Amino acid sequence: MKLNDIELDALAEVFNLGVGQAAHALSQLAGEPVQLSVPKIALLTADEISAQVVDPRSPRVCAVRQGFSGEIATEAVLMFPEEQSLLLVQIMVGDSVPLDQLSEMEQEALAEIGNILLNSVVASVADTLGIRLEGSLPEVQVGSSQEVLRDDNRPSSEPLLSLQIRFDIDARQIQGYLAFLLDMESGDTLERRIGDFIAGVTRNTT
Amino acid sequence: MNARANQQESPPPDTLMGWALDKAQCGILLLDQRLCIAYANPWLLNRALMSSGDLLGRPLFDAFPELGQTRFHDVLLRTQSSGFPALLSESLHPSPFPLWPPSLARQRPPERRLRQTLHIVPMAPPLATQLGQRHTLIQISDVTPATRREDLLRAQADKLHAMAYVDGLTGIGNRRQFDHMLRREWRDAARHGRRVALVLFDIDFFKQYNDQYGHQRGDECLRSVARLVESVAQRPRDVACRYGGEELALLLPDTDAEGASRLAHQVLGALRDLGIAHAGSPVGQLRLSAGVASLAPLDSEEPYELIRLADRSLYEAKQSGRDRVGPGHSAGPDAAPVG
Repeated sequence: MKLNDIELDALAEVFNLGVGQAAHALSQLAGEPVQLSVPKIALLTADEISAQVVDPRSPRVCAVRQGFSGEIATEAVLMFPEEQSLLLVQIMVGDSVPLDQLSEMEQEALAEIGNILLNSVVASVADTLGIRLEGSLPEVQVGSSQEVLRDDNRPSSEPLLSLQIRFDIDARQIQGYLAFLLDMESGDTLERRIGDFIAGVTRNTT
Repeated sequence: MNARANQQESPPPDTLMGWALDKAQCGILLLDQRLCIAYANPWLLNRALMSSGDLLGRPLFDAFPELGQTRFHDVLLRTQSSGFPALLSESLHPSPFPLWPPSLARQRPPERRLRQTLHIVPMAPPLATQLGQRHTLIQISDVTPATRREDLLRAQADKLHAMAYVDGLTGIGNRRQFDHMLRREWRDAARHGRRVALVLFDIDFFKQYNDQYGHQRGDECLRSVARLVESVAQRPRDVACRYGGEELALLLPDTDAEGASRLAHQVLGALRDLGIAHAGSPVGQLRLSAGVASLAPLDSEEPYELIRLADRSLYEAKQSGRDRVGPGHSAGPDAAPVG
Protein backbone atom coordinates (compact mmCIF):
# COMPACT_ATOMS: atom_id res chain seq x y z
CA MET A 1 0.00 0.00 0.00
CA LYS A 2 1.19 3.49 -0.80
CA LEU A 3 -0.22 6.73 0.54
CA ASN A 4 1.09 10.21 -0.06
CA ASP A 5 1.28 12.97 2.55
CA ILE A 6 -2.06 14.50 1.58
CA GLU A 7 -3.73 11.11 1.90
CA LEU A 8 -2.09 10.43 5.26
CA ASP A 9 -3.15 13.88 6.50
CA ALA A 10 -6.73 13.25 5.41
CA LEU A 11 -6.70 9.89 7.22
CA ALA A 12 -5.20 11.46 10.34
CA GLU A 13 -8.14 13.85 10.45
CA VAL A 14 -10.63 11.01 10.13
CA PHE A 15 -8.85 9.00 12.82
CA ASN A 16 -8.84 11.99 15.16
CA LEU A 17 -12.62 12.24 14.76
CA GLY A 18 -12.88 8.56 15.66
CA VAL A 19 -10.70 8.76 18.78
CA GLY A 20 -12.66 11.84 19.87
CA GLN A 21 -15.82 9.76 20.11
CA ALA A 22 -13.95 6.98 21.91
CA ALA A 23 -12.53 9.52 24.38
CA HIS A 24 -16.04 10.62 25.25
CA ALA A 25 -17.11 7.03 26.01
CA LEU A 26 -13.91 6.29 27.95
CA SER A 27 -14.32 9.46 30.04
CA GLN A 28 -17.77 8.30 31.12
CA LEU A 29 -16.33 4.93 31.99
CA ALA A 30 -13.38 6.32 33.94
CA GLY A 31 -15.40 9.03 35.65
CA GLU A 32 -12.71 11.55 34.75
CA PRO A 33 -11.63 13.22 31.53
CA VAL A 34 -9.80 10.92 29.13
CA GLN A 35 -8.13 12.59 26.19
CA LEU A 36 -7.11 10.68 23.11
CA SER A 37 -4.98 11.93 20.28
CA VAL A 38 -3.22 10.55 17.23
CA PRO A 39 0.19 12.22 17.18
CA LYS A 40 1.50 10.14 14.32
CA ILE A 41 0.17 8.15 11.41
CA ALA A 42 2.51 6.34 9.03
CA LEU A 43 3.02 3.34 6.82
CA LEU A 44 5.49 1.11 8.63
CA THR A 45 6.62 -2.49 8.39
CA ALA A 46 5.89 -4.84 11.27
CA ASP A 47 9.53 -4.61 12.35
CA GLU A 48 9.46 -0.83 12.39
CA ILE A 49 6.28 -0.85 14.47
CA SER A 50 7.81 -3.35 16.90
CA ALA A 51 10.81 -1.13 17.37
CA GLN A 52 8.48 1.71 18.40
CA VAL A 53 6.14 -0.25 20.66
CA VAL A 54 8.60 -2.34 22.55
CA ASP A 55 10.06 -1.02 25.73
CA PRO A 56 13.35 -2.88 26.28
CA ARG A 57 12.46 -3.25 29.96
CA SER A 58 9.16 -4.98 29.19
CA PRO A 59 9.40 -6.72 25.82
CA ARG A 60 5.88 -8.14 25.92
CA VAL A 61 2.92 -6.31 24.49
CA CYS A 62 -0.78 -6.61 25.29
CA ALA A 63 -2.92 -6.39 22.21
CA VAL A 64 -6.63 -6.11 21.59
CA ARG A 65 -7.53 -7.34 18.14
CA GLN A 66 -10.73 -7.23 16.19
CA GLY A 67 -11.48 -8.45 12.70
CA PHE A 68 -13.53 -6.37 10.29
CA SER A 69 -14.90 -7.70 7.03
CA GLY A 70 -17.05 -6.59 4.11
CA GLU A 71 -15.75 -4.48 1.30
CA ILE A 72 -12.40 -4.58 3.09
CA ALA A 73 -10.99 -7.35 5.28
CA THR A 74 -8.72 -6.16 8.03
CA GLU A 75 -7.52 -7.15 11.42
CA ALA A 76 -7.17 -4.07 13.64
CA VAL A 77 -4.55 -4.57 16.34
CA LEU A 78 -4.27 -2.14 19.26
CA MET A 79 -1.04 -2.72 21.18
CA PHE A 80 0.40 -1.50 24.48
CA PRO A 81 3.72 -2.31 26.10
CA GLU A 82 2.66 -4.65 28.93
CA GLU A 83 3.55 -2.13 31.62
CA GLN A 84 1.40 0.52 29.95
CA SER A 85 -1.54 -1.85 29.65
CA LEU A 86 -1.34 -2.50 33.41
CA LEU A 87 -1.31 1.22 34.11
CA LEU A 88 -4.22 1.87 31.75
CA VAL A 89 -6.41 -0.82 33.30
CA GLN A 90 -5.41 0.27 36.79
CA ILE A 91 -6.48 3.85 36.05
CA MET A 92 -9.72 2.82 34.38
CA VAL A 93 -10.71 0.19 36.96
CA GLY A 94 -9.30 2.07 39.94
CA ASP A 95 -7.69 -0.83 41.78
CA SER A 96 -4.90 -0.21 44.25
CA VAL A 97 -1.98 -2.61 43.92
CA PRO A 98 -1.48 -3.91 40.39
CA LEU A 99 -0.27 -7.45 39.92
CA ASP A 100 2.65 -8.15 37.56
CA GLN A 101 0.37 -9.26 34.78
CA LEU A 102 -3.15 -8.51 33.71
CA SER A 103 -5.53 -10.94 35.41
CA GLU A 104 -8.28 -12.63 33.45
CA MET A 105 -10.84 -9.99 34.45
CA GLU A 106 -8.41 -7.16 33.76
CA GLN A 107 -7.77 -8.57 30.30
CA GLU A 108 -11.49 -8.33 29.71
CA ALA A 109 -11.44 -4.72 30.85
CA LEU A 110 -8.64 -4.05 28.38
CA ALA A 111 -10.70 -5.82 25.70
CA GLU A 112 -13.59 -3.46 26.46
CA ILE A 113 -11.39 -0.38 26.31
CA GLY A 114 -9.91 -1.60 23.02
CA ASN A 115 -13.36 -2.44 21.70
CA ILE A 116 -14.57 1.12 22.34
CA LEU A 117 -11.55 2.59 20.62
CA LEU A 118 -11.44 0.21 17.65
CA ASN A 119 -15.19 0.43 16.97
CA SER A 120 -15.10 4.25 17.01
CA VAL A 121 -12.01 4.55 14.87
CA VAL A 122 -13.10 2.00 12.29
CA ALA A 123 -16.67 3.36 12.18
CA SER A 124 -15.33 6.83 11.55
CA VAL A 125 -13.16 5.64 8.66
CA ALA A 126 -15.90 3.44 7.23
CA ASP A 127 -18.49 6.25 7.40
CA THR A 128 -16.19 8.86 5.88
CA LEU A 129 -14.98 6.66 3.04
CA GLY A 130 -18.36 4.99 2.51
CA ILE A 131 -17.12 1.46 3.18
CA ARG A 132 -19.56 -1.15 4.48
CA LEU A 133 -18.04 -3.28 7.23
CA GLU A 134 -19.00 -5.85 9.83
CA GLY A 135 -17.02 -6.32 12.99
CA SER A 136 -16.07 -9.14 15.32
CA LEU A 137 -15.72 -9.21 19.09
CA PRO A 138 -12.38 -8.17 20.60
CA GLU A 139 -9.74 -10.67 21.67
CA VAL A 140 -6.78 -10.04 23.92
CA GLN A 141 -3.39 -11.39 23.00
CA VAL A 142 -0.26 -11.14 25.13
CA GLY A 143 3.12 -11.85 23.59
CA SER A 144 5.97 -10.37 21.63
CA SER A 145 5.05 -7.70 19.12
CA GLN A 146 6.33 -9.96 16.32
CA GLU A 147 3.84 -12.64 17.34
CA VAL A 148 1.04 -10.12 17.60
CA LEU A 149 1.72 -8.57 14.19
CA ARG A 150 2.41 -11.81 12.37
CA ASP A 151 0.29 -12.13 9.29
CA ASP A 152 0.72 -14.97 6.83
CA ASN A 153 -1.49 -13.30 4.23
CA ARG A 154 1.04 -10.67 3.29
CA PRO A 155 4.76 -10.23 2.76
CA SER A 156 6.46 -8.90 5.90
CA SER A 157 8.14 -6.15 3.87
CA GLU A 158 4.72 -4.69 3.01
CA PRO A 159 4.06 -1.62 5.18
CA LEU A 160 1.08 -1.47 7.54
CA LEU A 161 -1.10 1.51 8.19
CA SER A 162 -0.21 2.36 11.77
CA LEU A 163 -1.11 5.06 14.26
CA GLN A 164 0.34 6.14 17.50
CA ILE A 165 -2.44 6.75 20.01
CA ARG A 166 -1.89 8.79 23.13
CA PHE A 167 -4.12 8.57 26.21
CA ASP A 168 -4.01 11.45 28.67
CA ILE A 169 -5.76 10.54 31.91
CA ASP A 170 -5.33 12.13 35.30
CA ALA A 171 -2.00 13.80 34.42
CA ARG A 172 -0.67 10.47 33.18
CA GLN A 173 0.20 9.50 29.65
CA ILE A 174 -0.18 6.13 28.03
CA GLN A 175 1.11 5.31 24.59
CA GLY A 176 -0.62 2.77 22.39
CA TYR A 177 -0.18 1.73 18.78
CA LEU A 178 -2.82 0.72 16.35
CA ALA A 179 -1.94 -1.28 13.23
CA PHE A 180 -4.22 -2.49 10.48
CA LEU A 181 -3.36 -5.84 8.93
CA LEU A 182 -4.78 -5.65 5.41
CA ASP A 183 -4.36 -8.16 2.64
CA MET A 184 -3.13 -6.81 -0.71
CA GLU A 185 -6.59 -6.59 -2.24
CA SER A 186 -8.05 -4.72 0.74
CA GLY A 187 -5.04 -2.41 0.75
CA ASP A 188 -5.76 -1.54 -2.88
CA THR A 189 -9.43 -0.94 -2.16
CA LEU A 190 -8.62 1.32 0.78
CA GLU A 191 -6.10 3.25 -1.29
CA ARG A 192 -8.68 3.79 -4.03
CA ARG A 193 -11.37 4.91 -1.57
CA ILE A 194 -9.03 7.40 0.04
CA GLY A 195 -8.16 8.73 -3.41
CA ASP A 196 -11.88 9.04 -4.27
CA PHE A 197 -12.57 10.77 -0.98
CA ILE A 198 -9.84 13.36 -1.47
CA ALA A 199 -10.92 13.93 -5.08
CA GLY A 200 -14.49 14.45 -3.79
CA VAL A 201 -13.39 16.93 -1.14
CA THR A 202 -11.24 18.84 -3.64
CA ARG A 203 -14.09 18.96 -6.15
CA ASN A 204 -16.49 20.28 -3.54
CA THR A 205 -14.16 23.01 -2.34
CA THR A 206 -13.11 24.32 -5.77
CA MET B 1 -26.94 -47.53 4.28
CA ASN B 2 -26.01 -46.99 7.87
CA ALA B 3 -24.99 -43.38 7.24
CA ARG B 4 -28.30 -42.76 5.58
CA ALA B 5 -30.24 -44.18 8.47
CA ASN B 6 -28.36 -41.85 10.81
CA GLN B 7 -29.14 -38.89 8.64
CA GLN B 8 -32.84 -39.64 8.73
CA GLU B 9 -32.78 -39.88 12.51
CA SER B 10 -31.15 -36.46 12.92
CA PRO B 11 -33.66 -33.89 14.17
CA PRO B 12 -34.21 -30.75 12.08
CA PRO B 13 -31.60 -28.06 12.81
CA ASP B 14 -34.09 -25.71 14.48
CA THR B 15 -35.03 -28.33 17.06
CA LEU B 16 -31.39 -29.15 17.61
CA MET B 17 -30.42 -25.48 18.08
CA GLY B 18 -33.42 -24.88 20.32
CA TRP B 19 -32.37 -27.77 22.52
CA ALA B 20 -28.77 -26.49 22.64
CA LEU B 21 -29.87 -22.98 23.66
CA ASP B 22 -32.15 -24.47 26.32
CA LYS B 23 -29.22 -26.28 27.84
CA ALA B 24 -26.48 -23.65 27.37
CA GLN B 25 -24.71 -22.58 30.59
CA CYS B 26 -24.82 -18.88 29.85
CA GLY B 27 -27.61 -16.38 29.36
CA ILE B 28 -28.89 -15.82 25.85
CA LEU B 29 -31.22 -12.99 25.04
CA LEU B 30 -32.39 -12.09 21.53
CA LEU B 31 -33.85 -8.67 20.80
CA ASP B 32 -35.73 -7.57 17.75
CA GLN B 33 -35.18 -4.28 16.01
CA ARG B 34 -37.40 -2.36 18.47
CA LEU B 35 -35.39 -3.84 21.35
CA CYS B 36 -38.24 -6.12 22.40
CA ILE B 37 -37.31 -9.53 23.76
CA ALA B 38 -37.64 -12.21 21.08
CA TYR B 39 -36.10 -15.02 23.11
CA ALA B 40 -34.59 -15.68 26.53
CA ASN B 41 -33.09 -19.04 27.39
CA PRO B 42 -33.83 -21.02 30.58
CA TRP B 43 -30.40 -20.23 32.11
CA LEU B 44 -31.35 -16.55 32.10
CA LEU B 45 -34.98 -17.09 33.15
CA ASN B 46 -33.96 -19.19 36.16
CA ARG B 47 -31.49 -16.57 37.38
CA ALA B 48 -33.86 -13.65 36.82
CA LEU B 49 -36.75 -15.63 38.33
CA MET B 50 -38.91 -14.84 35.34
CA SER B 51 -40.91 -16.93 32.92
CA SER B 52 -40.87 -16.79 29.15
CA GLY B 53 -44.34 -15.27 29.36
CA ASP B 54 -42.99 -12.42 31.52
CA LEU B 55 -40.42 -11.49 28.93
CA LEU B 56 -41.38 -12.40 25.37
CA GLY B 57 -42.44 -9.43 23.31
CA ARG B 58 -41.71 -6.97 26.11
CA PRO B 59 -39.37 -4.03 25.53
CA LEU B 60 -36.04 -4.86 27.17
CA PHE B 61 -35.91 -1.66 29.24
CA ASP B 62 -39.45 -2.28 30.41
CA ALA B 63 -38.65 -5.83 31.52
CA PHE B 64 -35.37 -4.73 33.18
CA PRO B 65 -35.94 -1.05 34.07
CA GLU B 66 -32.65 -0.66 35.96
CA LEU B 67 -30.72 -1.23 32.71
CA GLY B 68 -32.10 2.03 31.32
CA GLN B 69 -29.77 4.22 33.38
CA THR B 70 -26.55 2.31 32.67
CA ARG B 71 -23.82 2.40 30.09
CA PHE B 72 -25.30 -0.86 28.79
CA HIS B 73 -28.13 1.23 27.38
CA ASP B 74 -25.74 3.52 25.45
CA VAL B 75 -23.63 0.62 24.24
CA LEU B 76 -26.65 -1.31 23.01
CA LEU B 77 -27.86 1.70 21.01
CA ARG B 78 -24.39 2.24 19.58
CA THR B 79 -24.12 -1.39 18.41
CA GLN B 80 -27.47 -0.87 16.72
CA SER B 81 -26.26 2.14 14.79
CA SER B 82 -22.70 1.00 14.02
CA GLY B 83 -23.41 -2.67 13.51
CA PHE B 84 -20.21 -3.51 15.41
CA PRO B 85 -20.33 -5.94 18.36
CA ALA B 86 -19.41 -4.77 21.85
CA LEU B 87 -18.13 -6.21 25.09
CA LEU B 88 -19.02 -5.07 28.61
CA SER B 89 -16.47 -6.34 31.08
CA GLU B 90 -17.17 -7.21 34.68
CA SER B 91 -14.35 -4.99 35.96
CA LEU B 92 -15.97 -1.90 34.51
CA HIS B 93 -19.64 -2.91 34.96
CA PRO B 94 -19.86 -5.60 37.64
CA SER B 95 -23.46 -6.67 37.45
CA PRO B 96 -25.73 -5.12 34.80
CA PHE B 97 -28.60 -7.65 34.86
CA PRO B 98 -30.49 -8.47 38.09
CA LEU B 99 -29.45 -12.12 38.21
CA TRP B 100 -28.84 -14.46 41.16
CA PRO B 101 -27.88 -18.10 41.60
CA PRO B 102 -31.15 -20.04 41.06
CA SER B 103 -31.27 -21.13 44.71
CA LEU B 104 -31.17 -17.47 45.86
CA ALA B 105 -33.23 -15.90 43.06
CA ARG B 106 -36.16 -15.39 45.44
CA GLN B 107 -34.27 -13.73 48.33
CA ARG B 108 -32.00 -11.71 46.03
CA PRO B 109 -29.23 -10.94 48.54
CA PRO B 110 -27.31 -7.99 47.05
CA GLU B 111 -23.88 -9.50 47.77
CA ARG B 112 -24.73 -12.65 45.82
CA ARG B 113 -25.88 -10.92 42.65
CA LEU B 114 -24.07 -12.54 39.73
CA ARG B 115 -21.03 -10.81 38.28
CA GLN B 116 -21.38 -10.68 34.50
CA THR B 117 -19.54 -10.22 31.28
CA LEU B 118 -21.79 -9.22 28.39
CA HIS B 119 -21.30 -9.66 24.68
CA ILE B 120 -23.64 -7.69 22.44
CA VAL B 121 -23.71 -8.81 18.83
CA PRO B 122 -25.94 -7.11 16.24
CA MET B 123 -27.01 -9.22 13.32
CA ALA B 124 -24.97 -8.88 10.14
CA PRO B 125 -26.68 -6.93 7.32
CA PRO B 126 -27.26 -9.81 4.83
CA LEU B 127 -29.19 -11.89 7.36
CA ALA B 128 -30.97 -8.82 8.71
CA THR B 129 -32.12 -8.00 5.17
CA GLN B 130 -33.32 -11.57 4.72
CA LEU B 131 -35.32 -11.46 7.97
CA GLY B 132 -36.63 -7.96 7.34
CA GLN B 133 -35.12 -6.57 10.56
CA ARG B 134 -31.90 -6.57 12.51
CA HIS B 135 -31.89 -8.67 15.67
CA THR B 136 -29.35 -8.40 18.45
CA LEU B 137 -27.83 -11.18 20.52
CA ILE B 138 -26.88 -10.52 24.13
CA GLN B 139 -24.80 -13.20 25.73
CA ILE B 140 -24.44 -13.08 29.51
CA SER B 141 -21.62 -15.02 31.17
CA ASP B 142 -21.49 -15.59 34.92
CA VAL B 143 -17.93 -14.68 35.95
CA THR B 144 -18.61 -14.68 39.72
CA PRO B 145 -16.17 -17.54 40.44
CA ALA B 146 -13.38 -15.81 38.52
CA THR B 147 -13.93 -12.49 40.30
CA ARG B 148 -13.96 -14.27 43.71
CA ARG B 149 -10.67 -15.93 42.84
CA GLU B 150 -9.15 -12.64 41.78
CA ASP B 151 -10.44 -10.77 44.84
CA LEU B 152 -8.75 -13.40 46.99
CA LEU B 153 -5.54 -13.16 45.00
CA ARG B 154 -5.58 -9.39 45.26
CA ALA B 155 -6.24 -9.43 48.98
CA GLN B 156 -3.23 -11.71 49.44
CA ALA B 157 -1.09 -9.55 47.19
CA ASP B 158 -2.13 -6.48 49.23
CA LYS B 159 -1.18 -8.30 52.45
CA LEU B 160 2.18 -9.41 51.09
CA HIS B 161 2.78 -5.95 49.72
CA ALA B 162 2.04 -4.38 53.11
CA MET B 163 4.25 -6.93 54.87
CA ALA B 164 7.10 -6.24 52.49
CA TYR B 165 7.01 -2.56 53.48
CA VAL B 166 6.90 -2.92 57.26
CA ASP B 167 9.91 -3.21 59.54
CA GLY B 168 9.47 -6.42 61.51
CA LEU B 169 11.01 -5.10 64.74
CA THR B 170 9.45 -1.66 65.14
CA GLY B 171 6.25 -2.01 63.10
CA ILE B 172 6.89 1.26 61.26
CA GLY B 173 7.88 1.44 57.58
CA ASN B 174 11.12 -0.20 56.51
CA ARG B 175 13.86 1.04 54.21
CA ARG B 176 11.97 -0.11 51.12
CA GLN B 177 8.96 1.90 52.24
CA PHE B 178 11.20 4.90 52.86
CA ASP B 179 12.78 4.72 49.39
CA HIS B 180 9.37 4.30 47.80
CA MET B 181 7.74 7.20 49.67
CA LEU B 182 10.75 9.47 49.19
CA ARG B 183 10.62 8.97 45.42
CA ARG B 184 6.87 9.56 45.41
CA GLU B 185 6.94 12.70 47.56
CA TRP B 186 9.95 14.03 45.66
CA ARG B 187 8.14 13.65 42.35
CA ASP B 188 5.01 15.21 43.77
CA ALA B 189 6.90 18.13 45.31
CA ALA B 190 8.70 18.75 42.01
CA ARG B 191 5.40 18.77 40.14
CA HIS B 192 3.68 21.19 42.52
CA GLY B 193 6.71 23.32 43.37
CA ARG B 194 6.54 22.33 47.06
CA ARG B 195 9.23 21.29 49.50
CA VAL B 196 9.94 18.01 51.22
CA ALA B 197 11.64 17.78 54.60
CA LEU B 198 13.54 14.89 56.10
CA VAL B 199 14.63 14.29 59.68
CA LEU B 200 17.15 11.52 60.37
CA PHE B 201 17.32 10.32 63.99
CA ASP B 202 20.21 8.33 65.39
CA ILE B 203 20.28 6.85 68.90
CA ASP B 204 23.37 8.08 70.79
CA PHE B 205 25.76 5.40 72.05
CA PHE B 206 23.40 2.63 70.94
CA LYS B 207 26.20 0.08 70.58
CA GLN B 208 27.17 0.67 74.20
CA TYR B 209 23.53 0.27 75.22
CA ASN B 210 23.34 -3.11 73.51
CA ASP B 211 26.63 -4.18 75.08
CA GLN B 212 25.50 -3.12 78.54
CA TYR B 213 21.87 -4.28 78.58
CA GLY B 214 21.73 -6.93 75.87
CA HIS B 215 20.04 -6.96 72.48
CA GLN B 216 16.54 -7.60 73.79
CA ARG B 217 16.59 -4.36 75.78
CA GLY B 218 18.16 -2.70 72.73
CA ASP B 219 15.22 -3.85 70.61
CA GLU B 220 12.80 -2.43 73.17
CA CYS B 221 14.58 0.91 72.98
CA LEU B 222 14.30 0.95 69.22
CA ARG B 223 10.61 0.22 69.50
CA SER B 224 10.12 3.06 72.01
CA VAL B 225 11.98 5.55 69.83
CA ALA B 226 10.07 4.37 66.74
CA ARG B 227 6.79 5.03 68.58
CA LEU B 228 7.94 8.55 69.48
CA VAL B 229 8.95 9.34 65.90
CA GLU B 230 5.71 7.90 64.59
CA SER B 231 3.65 9.95 67.06
CA VAL B 232 4.83 13.23 65.52
CA ALA B 233 4.05 12.03 61.95
CA GLN B 234 0.49 13.27 62.22
CA ARG B 235 -0.54 14.45 58.78
CA PRO B 236 -1.79 11.76 56.39
CA ARG B 237 1.34 11.80 54.23
CA ASP B 238 3.96 12.14 56.99
CA VAL B 239 5.91 8.89 57.15
CA ALA B 240 8.12 7.38 59.86
CA CYS B 241 10.49 4.62 58.73
CA ARG B 242 13.39 2.64 60.07
CA TYR B 243 16.21 3.84 57.85
CA GLY B 244 19.08 1.71 59.11
CA GLY B 245 20.17 -0.16 62.27
CA GLU B 246 19.50 2.52 64.90
CA GLU B 247 18.59 5.24 62.44
CA LEU B 248 15.01 6.35 61.92
CA ALA B 249 13.70 8.68 59.26
CA LEU B 250 10.78 11.07 59.29
CA LEU B 251 9.62 12.21 55.86
CA LEU B 252 7.51 15.39 55.89
CA PRO B 253 5.94 16.60 52.64
CA ASP B 254 5.28 20.31 52.26
CA THR B 255 7.37 21.25 55.31
CA ASP B 256 10.22 23.75 55.72
CA ALA B 257 13.37 23.22 57.77
CA GLU B 258 11.93 25.16 60.69
CA GLY B 259 8.83 22.99 60.92
CA ALA B 260 10.89 19.81 60.62
CA SER B 261 13.30 21.02 63.34
CA ARG B 262 10.37 21.69 65.64
CA LEU B 263 9.16 18.09 65.28
CA ALA B 264 12.72 16.80 65.77
CA HIS B 265 12.99 18.75 69.04
CA GLN B 266 9.61 17.31 70.09
CA VAL B 267 10.88 13.76 69.64
CA LEU B 268 14.11 14.47 71.52
CA GLY B 269 12.12 16.07 74.34
CA ALA B 270 9.71 13.14 74.54
CA LEU B 271 12.60 10.69 74.81
CA ARG B 272 14.13 12.80 77.60
CA ASP B 273 10.77 12.64 79.39
CA LEU B 274 10.81 8.84 79.20
CA GLY B 275 14.11 8.91 81.07
CA ILE B 276 15.43 5.54 79.91
CA ALA B 277 18.60 4.78 81.87
CA HIS B 278 21.81 4.32 79.87
CA ALA B 279 24.89 3.77 82.02
CA GLY B 280 27.16 3.77 78.96
CA SER B 281 26.24 7.35 78.01
CA PRO B 282 27.88 10.47 79.52
CA VAL B 283 24.42 11.86 80.44
CA GLY B 284 23.32 8.53 81.98
CA GLN B 285 20.17 8.38 79.85
CA LEU B 286 19.19 7.24 76.38
CA ARG B 287 19.30 10.23 74.03
CA LEU B 288 18.97 10.97 70.32
CA SER B 289 20.65 13.15 67.73
CA ALA B 290 18.78 14.41 64.68
CA GLY B 291 19.67 15.90 61.29
CA VAL B 292 17.22 18.11 59.43
CA ALA B 293 16.93 19.12 55.78
CA SER B 294 14.23 20.60 53.57
CA LEU B 295 14.36 20.96 49.80
CA ALA B 296 12.21 22.19 46.96
CA PRO B 297 13.26 19.70 44.28
CA LEU B 298 14.63 20.96 41.01
CA ASP B 299 13.96 18.87 37.92
CA SER B 300 17.56 17.79 37.62
CA GLU B 301 18.00 16.80 41.25
CA GLU B 302 17.78 13.31 42.67
CA PRO B 303 16.01 12.69 45.99
CA TYR B 304 19.36 11.52 47.44
CA GLU B 305 20.31 15.17 47.69
CA LEU B 306 17.79 15.47 50.53
CA ILE B 307 19.32 12.46 52.32
CA ARG B 308 22.79 13.90 51.85
CA LEU B 309 21.82 17.20 53.48
CA ALA B 310 19.99 15.56 56.38
CA ASP B 311 22.96 13.26 56.88
CA ARG B 312 25.30 16.24 57.01
CA SER B 313 23.12 17.94 59.61
CA LEU B 314 23.09 14.72 61.66
CA TYR B 315 26.87 14.51 61.43
CA GLU B 316 27.14 18.09 62.67
CA ALA B 317 24.82 17.29 65.59
CA LYS B 318 27.01 14.33 66.53
CA GLN B 319 30.20 16.37 66.14
CA SER B 320 28.97 19.16 68.38
CA GLY B 321 28.20 16.84 71.27
CA ARG B 322 25.17 14.65 70.41
CA ASP B 323 21.75 14.85 72.16
CA ARG B 324 20.70 17.68 69.90
CA VAL B 325 19.12 18.64 66.57
CA GLY B 326 21.57 19.64 63.82
CA PRO B 327 21.25 22.83 61.77
CA GLY B 328 18.32 22.70 59.34
CA HIS B 329 19.88 22.55 55.89
CA SER B 330 17.63 24.03 53.33
CA ALA B 331 17.53 24.87 49.65
CA GLY B 332 14.92 26.25 47.35
CA PRO B 333 12.53 29.20 47.76
CA ASP B 334 12.85 31.10 51.09
CA ALA B 335 15.77 28.97 52.16
CA ALA B 336 17.48 30.14 55.31
CA PRO B 337 19.53 28.08 57.74
CA VAL B 338 17.65 27.21 60.88
CA GLY B 339 19.41 26.46 64.15
